[in-house]
Amino acid sequence: MHEMSLALEVCAIAERHVPREQVANIVEVGLEVGDGAGVEADSLEFWLETLLTSPPFKAARPVIARVAGDVLRVSYLEVDDGRPHD
Amino acid sequence: MAVRTIDVRERVMARNDELAAAVRRRLSDHRVACFNLVSSPGSGKTTLLERTLEDLGTELRIAIVTGDVQTQNDADRLAAHTNRLVQAVMTGGACHLDARQVQTALDAVDLAATDLLFIENVGNLVCPANWDLGETAKIVLFSVTEGEDKPAKYPKMFQQSRYAVFTKVDLLPHVLFDIERAEAIAREVHDGLTFFRTSAHSGEGLDDWYALLKRQVRDAHTR
Repeated sequence: MHEMSLALEVCAIAERHVPREQVANIVEVGLEVGDGAGVEADSLEFWLETLLTSPPFKAARPVIARVAGDVLRVSYLEVDDGRPHD
Repeated sequence: MAVRTIDVRERVMARNDELAAAVRRRLSDHRVACFNLVSSPGSGKTTLLERTLEDLGTELRIAIVTGDVQTQNDADRLAAHTNRLVQAVMTGGACHLDARQVQTALDAVDLAATDLLFIENVGNLVCPANWDLGETAKIVLFSVTEGEDKPAKYPKMFQQSRYAVFTKVDLLPHVLFDIERAEAIAREVHDGLTFFRTSAHSGEGLDDWYALLKRQVRDAHTR
């Protein structure tokens, strides 16, 4: 349940960083999870896989980097604009 | 297809911590000391608060916010010991209180007429450790009917707490609990912990507990 709350917060952060109409274009959400963060990374990943493929998201996948310390943060988003490179 | 990367670097707890800071400012403006009581279920948080309200409720103006996954049973129990508001928060499944819930709960509390606020968190030794609620300090309760190695099993909760209160010490003659060993294990995970040994049933150790509360209230008033 704890990881679900954190996953919802991750989703809220992702939504704040792109215009609303582009949320469905997010294809990857990168996170750093510290070994002392008190977070079960597998459980967090499970919840994120569920939430990031449900509206307003479409087909984003979580990529979790395990790091030292108690850090727990969203590091980057990848957004597919659907346009060819300039 | 053009995939672009957006640099985010935002802590997952950032929003909660902003709200916790706002709660802390609000409590500080009203000179209210605030303790976040955390423990496993059944360690005696509500019973200690009942006794504290009975013994200190006329001397100090004590407000309480209780958190439970379901029911407001704890709030109802506590309300029988005070004329002041006991605000219940039902988390509806979540395993901890967050700063937003406390912020909202405080809207119903007359902070100008409050010396001391207790937040009785959801009984859980894992998740509440991660959530700052804007409290002065976390206090972890540890009953003598539990295993002595709880601090080793759940280190973060003991690391995040400033005080550890042993409860139900009147049962020590009847249980296989070595309180010295338990204290040593807790010190291994957090050397700076201050301990109290209490029984809300017999009253043992409550004078020290009340002295801490009064001191904290005094400190909050003079800050």
